[in-house]
Amino acid sequence: MSTDMGTDVGTDVLKDIVGMLVDVVGEDFLLDLDVGLDTTFNEDLALESIEFVALAEKLQRRYGERVEFAAFIAGMDLDQIMRMTVGDLVRHVESRLRPAGL
Amino acid sequence: MEVTPRRFLFAVPPLTGHINPTVAVAAELVKRGHRVAWVGHPGSLEPLLRPGSRVYPAVSEAFTARLQAGREERLKLRGPAALKFLWEEFLVPLGHTMMPGVEAAIGRFRPDVVVSDQQVLAAPVAARLSGLPWVTSATTSAEFTRPLAAMPLVEEWVRDQIGAFQLHYGIEDLLDLRFSDHLVLVYSTGALIGDVSFFPEHFAFVGPALERPREGGFPWEWLETGRRPAVLVSLGTVNGAAGARFFQVAADAVRDMDLQAVFVAPAGMVPDPPPNVLVRDHVPQLPLLERMSAVVSHGGHNTVCETLANGLPLVVAPIRDDQPVIARQVEEAGAGVTVRFTRVRAAELRDALGRVLADESYRSAAGRIRDSFTAAGGAAQAAERLEKLA
Repeated sequence: MSTDMGTDVGTDVLKDIVGMLVDVVGEDFLLDLDVGLDTTFNEDLALESIEFVALAEKLQRRYGERVEFAAFIAGMDLDQIMRMTVGDLVRHVESRLRPAGL
Repeated sequence: MEVTPRRFLFAVPPLTGHINPTVAVAAELVKRGHRVAWVGHPGSLEPLLRPGSRVYPAVSEAFTARLQAGREERLKLRGPAALKFLWEEFLVPLGHTMMPGVEAAIGRFRPDVVVSDQQVLAAPVAARLSGLPWVTSATTSAEFTRPLAAMPLVEEWVRDQIGAFQLHYGIEDLLDLRFSDHLVLVYSTGALIGDVSFFPEHFAFVGPALERPREGGFPWEWLETGRRPAVLVSLGTVNGAAGARFFQVAADAVRDMDLQAVFVAPAGMVPDPPPNVLVRDHVPQLPLLERMSAVVSHGGHNTVCETLANGLPLVVAPIRDDQPVIARQVEEAGAGVTVRFTRVRAAELRDALGRVLADESYRSAAGRIRDSFTAAGGAAQAAERLEKLA
């Protein structure tokens, strides 16, 4: 598996995820949207299921199994999924990347 | 063999795609000497039914006008927001508004069996209250692959909507109203859906019950014969701004391809189409498919199954509801590829269309599904299963 598990995280996670979204959605579709922590997947990005799957694959490739994206989704109810923001995902990824005990 | 004539009541939502298969099944029942009637929205039913068909009203014009008013809002929704809207603004209110009409229809038509579209919550409840057997008519197979399995809390929420509906009418031994415990008719087969071997015997995967009302003429002479392939591009009845963009991108995608394309779109939605594109408001879809080599679709279950019944591969650009699930079925069966809808690019679409036309494996997979549909028996098999129940 080719993941860069050793990479330093922290604030870089936001930059990473924004980069993935730009790749998935296409830069020209994001011209009038400054993607940040408050950006919602549903209303702001209107991510389609095929794009969502592409994002999940990128997360897995970047961070490996420990990101547990499926578990993150499985834990949310309908309203939480509808309101899900980039910040929610960033916080989830950060919590999974933090070494145990911190 | 002489059959005892039985009476079948079909309860349907005001949606063409959900009515069409019941028309084919009902015709088969009538051929076998049975009596049929429909309960639903007369304005949606009458253009699709054979003259003289019996229709009981259960959905008012005011209700469908309200749906129409919410349509623009719905067109913007995707994924979970579309799911919430579907249940809260459509299925549950539709169930409540249909309840008195379905009960009246049962009282007047005195059916032996109630056949309920999977989206009509009222009919299973009314049938149970009257002690009648009820059948699920599933015009899309999305529910048979547990599309929400990855979101257990959302799956639970849907079950809660169904439970609350039954409690409202005093039913306390709750059933999942999407799946009859007597008979579930699914107009598809395992060749497309995936593994269906674990379903109990009363789940009947009968394949498509093909039916389309007459949809007017078509300039058949426009289609060349033999020289280059022809493709159909259809988004069903979905329109709006996103649909207009999709058709424009599709026009750009096929402009330089060596093929002809028929776009089913409102006149004016595709200004200045290239010479190899014909834009038509309506097409006689079933005969037209016999002349096509591939189809680009949003993943509406009927169009997908009609395409596969002709052994043709697909490019699917799913928008919402069951469409992403159906798109995945097509892809996993090897009968087509999936592209984005809202943000699809011409190159993306051109590449996908080129692949399904050039790579023989897509056509072979579509051919296998066609064969399984034929073997499943369609409307005749559905009628046979219904007869056994009555």
